[in-house]
Amino acid sequence: MALSEWVRESRKYILGTIILVLVLAFIPFIIGFDQYLLLILSTAAIFAVFVVAWNIIGGYAGQLDLGAFAYIALGGIVAAQLLVVYNITPWIGMFVGAGVSAVLAAAIGYPTFRFGIKEVWYALLTAALVVILNNIFHLPEVLGSLDHYLPPANGWYYLKFPVYENIYWFILAMLAIVVFINLWVSKSKVGYYLRAIREDELAAEALGIDVRKYKLEALVLYAAILGFMGYVYIVIAGTYSYHTFDSPHSIAIAIMGIIGGLGSIAGALTSAITLKVVEEYLRASIGATIPGIHLLIYGLLLIIIGIFKPDGLAGIYESLKKRRTSGRKKISGGGNP
Amino acid sequence: MTRKFRKALSKAATVSIIVIIIIAVAAGIAYYYYQSAAPAPTATTTTSTISSPSPTQTTTSTAATKPKISVIKIGLIEPLTGSHAVFGQEAKEAAELAVDVINNELGGIKSLGGAKLQLIVQDSGESPDNARLAAEKLISQYHPNIVIGAYISRLTAAVAEVTERSHTILFMDGLVDDLTQHGWKYVFRAAPKASAHGKSAVDFIIDMAKKKGIKVKTAIVLNEDSVFGTYVGNGATLELVKNGIKVLDHITYPYDISDVSSIINKIKSEKPDVVISVPYFHDAVLIAKAIKSQGIHLMFIAGAGGCGYTDPDSIKAAGDAVLYYTQTYSFNPFRPTKWDQKLVSMFKEKYGKIPTEAGGIILYTMFTIYAGLEKAGQMYPNDPLNPDNLRNVFLSLDLTDNNSIAGQLYPTGHIKFLPNGDNEYAGTAILQVQRINGTLQPVLVWPEPQPGVQPVFPRPDWTPSG
Amino acid sequence: MMDPILVTNNVLDGLLMGLLYSLVALGLALIFGVMDIINFAHGDFVMIGAYTAWLLAMAFWVDPSVTAIITVPLFFIIGIGIYKLVIEPVLGAEPLIQIAVTVGLGYVFQNIALALWHAEPKSFPAPWLNFSISAGGITLSVAKLIAGGISIISLYLIHYMLTKTKFGLAVRATSANREVAPLMGINVKKVYAITFGIGTALTALGAALYMSWGQTNPYLGQSFSLLSWVIVAMGGLGGVIGVLYSGLIVGVLEALGSTFITPSARLAVVYLAFFLLLWFRPRGLFARR
Repeated sequence: MALSEWVRESRKYILGTIILVLVLAFIPFIIGFDQYLLLILSTAAIFAVFVVAWNIIGGYAGQLDLGAFAYIALGGIVAAQLLVVYNITPWIGMFVGAGVSAVLAAAIGYPTFRFGIKEVWYALLTAALVVILNNIFHLPEVLGSLDHYLPPANGWYYLKFPVYENIYWFILAMLAIVVFINLWVSKSKVGYYLRAIREDELAAEALGIDVRKYKLEALVLYAAILGFMGYVYIVIAGTYSYHTFDSPHSIAIAIMGIIGGLGSIAGALTSAITLKVVEEYLRASIGATIPGIHLLIYGLLLIIIGIFKPDGLAGIYESLKKRRTSGRKKISGGGNP
Repeated sequence: MTRKFRKALSKAATVSIIVIIIIAVAAGIAYYYYQSAAPAPTATTTTSTISSPSPTQTTTSTAATKPKISVIKIGLIEPLTGSHAVFGQEAKEAAELAVDVINNELGGIKSLGGAKLQLIVQDSGESPDNARLAAEKLISQYHPNIVIGAYISRLTAAVAEVTERSHTILFMDGLVDDLTQHGWKYVFRAAPKASAHGKSAVDFIIDMAKKKGIKVKTAIVLNEDSVFGTYVGNGATLELVKNGIKVLDHITYPYDISDVSSIINKIKSEKPDVVISVPYFHDAVLIAKAIKSQGIHLMFIAGAGGCGYTDPDSIKAAGDAVLYYTQTYSFNPFRPTKWDQKLVSMFKEKYGKIPTEAGGIILYTMFTIYAGLEKAGQMYPNDPLNPDNLRNVFLSLDLTDNNSIAGQLYPTGHIKFLPNGDNEYAGTAILQVQRINGTLQPVLVWPEPQPGVQPVFPRPDWTPSG
Repeated sequence: MMDPILVTNNVLDGLLMGLLYSLVALGLALIFGVMDIINFAHGDFVMIGAYTAWLLAMAFWVDPSVTAIITVPLFFIIGIGIYKLVIEPVLGAEPLIQIAVTVGLGYVFQNIALALWHAEPKSFPAPWLNFSISAGGITLSVAKLIAGGISIISLYLIHYMLTKTKFGLAVRATSANREVAPLMGINVKKVYAITFGIGTALTALGAALYMSWGQTNPYLGQSFSLLSWVIVAMGGLGGVIGVLYSGLIVGVLEALGSTFITPSARLAVVYLAFFLLLWFRPRGLFARR
């Protein structure tokens, strides 16, 4: 699709996203640059980026990817190692990281889709991928057991600051870009095909859609975004090691994606931000009373949302909307962007 | 605004409302619990066995002409959940006990007009991004004067970045060697380094072998593969090589391993004289049981690295499978000094077990802080809590058995900080599981055995082969 | 050069562990095969089962494996309860919703265990079976041999139940076509509930056997969850035989990875093999559909 056409098609969403991001960008001034709140916002925002990116493979293409941190950690570690060993700025390193993650995704994705692995088998493969990379990077020949540190220096060259507002704004800018990518995918032929594949893969294939190609494109795009953002995650985590290949975090991203509602950008954004903030709120407020109580409540929340709203957060809204509009005898059409 | 965008926004609003309701309920429950549970620790200590002046002194001394300080905030960030929770929870218990003793029995910080310590605890979970959130929460909401944390090195590193930025003193209870090598200015660590644990385990064996006239020729180093286990394992390997003992194999494994038979089979086929094992906690139980099950009779099996074979909980879980195992600790719960005995028995009274690694480190760290704050009141009466002043105070401390509680709690009886924050006189103690009056107990065997105890070396079931 | 006796011994140990893995994974395979539920809390059932076995063993001072007599029926009932409360509402939901719900269930289990029993490892200090027999330089733990034996018997019993009994017929009919099954007079909800109960009871059996030489802590489930899934996926939905073979394969691969590379990378070996296998047999070794 031509760029100008895309801009015309999704002008409303683009405008909306820009306004949303500008509003979010203004928050630091309201909260007086409180570093704790800024860190929560940054963490929530970076997870929002991950979840919105996940939406491409999980939401549009309908592949249950549980391997987000395989790509995040790989891309991040590549960029970090380039900085630590060769003093190459992450502004270059992040692109290299994105490239490496994309290549890995292509190498894994090609045979996986070629041999028709999908559904739970695909989910297990991607979950296993995180463990495999964790083990491989743990070998003494790769990263070994040690924690690795970024250089102590700060500044834009290192994309690393003693305070969080700069990184927060950077993540927000990335968030806007990733939302645009999503919008573009959703509006383009690719998105149309992907949705067709998600609904009924056999039928899509019968219509002559190259199922493998579009799934692979979605996977590579998703991996590249995650790989790019990996360095930023490492900046927030402070150190990197084989632990960065984190299985529970990977599943958490998929869960945020599904809680948001498959294929809904707004849902993905809302669920990433609310779940992350809720998790942190519970940890900070009650985590020290009975250890684990916050995770227990978080687990109950997941169960309750899952049981009562199997369509995710987007579904909660839809049902509310339906109730309201049916009262007014007016049905509004249109799905989620 | 367009309809769809409005729709997205109002969707967010709907969701937020639902979430806020859930949070409010959860927070209400938690707050209720917190309110009812919080006063408990201070109340229970009045029942402790040690006769002490009445601890219910609530008002601070009014003698202060200096800046009025009524409360000194100590932040504690520990992994209370996740696979490292076993350490974080004991650390929290020890910190609560120490603060209680300082506030009530010792009457707070006397040189600061009897100012009380206030402990603020945060859970770091098991990932560094959570640890960092915990640190920011502490620093920005509570402005603690001193922070302690966070046991696991990558969590400690995440905390240190935050405390360094805000110039807050951080006492680290993570032992990984390189934590004091990152140029951080406001960090201190009283506990010995990880590699020192490995070294002590080997020194103990060499010392014992010499006393008994046995020659140790070969060894296997077996360590769990985290950064901590690696440092301890490497410390042991270096010391073995230095002493001319042949290292037959260096085996690493993940601490969440569910079956250790392939490792034990390997040890069996390589027939070393001794095994230096750096376990985590769960794996120690598995290894000890598997070695017993296989009927392997080695000259000695020495644990290194603060936890595993001789903790009360390990003995409970593994039974006589851990008989005669030793383990190095950063804390000596059997030091024959007044305060060591007193705090250990208070801890035992309160929590039903003796403090070992995680709790012990926190005990002497807390009393080092206590000593430092007392001195700060004297050295800098006008600005005692300024971080640079505090740093100078801690660097100037020279704590020994005679002049401090912290010294009495420390294995070597001596704490003096080097400019990088490490303790110049760091050292470990070695405990061994022995059967005393029919029950399995950890006893102190090295550097000096506790009164009435002899180290058992070699293992009684060892049959020297030609 | 690796000592051949050591390799043989490790492989035999791996086979015994593989039998136990099969037993645990069979519960998952039943649940997934019959009702298409993606259960990510399976390992946490093992963890809770292990704690229950430990509690009973400590209370009656018997070997944990003996407690299976109580824990297996108990977990059958608990399984049905959990099914009614949590699983039934998400039947037929998006797979990821099921993952979200069961991951949430796992969090709940883990943190209940953490609150009740703290994080220290728990184990029965005086197991009766903690000795080994050796022949020709090969040493095998008696506890593991017995666990392996009971696993085989249980696998056979489940196989028998599925192929020879009326209930087994109902289970197979339901899993083959859940629209048609009710028309044949099969109470699908009941089949589901009982299947989930059996799946849960199998984790309790596996956990009780494991506690004869193992230990438990709140995070024990993490060692079993993904591994069980990989066994189920490798076996395909080929019933008991598929699970048995892929469990054994996983056990042996783990042992070989530990022996020839390092125990630190043993899971990478298993999962890499899983990758290759799926690429060549996308529906597992004994695929049915």
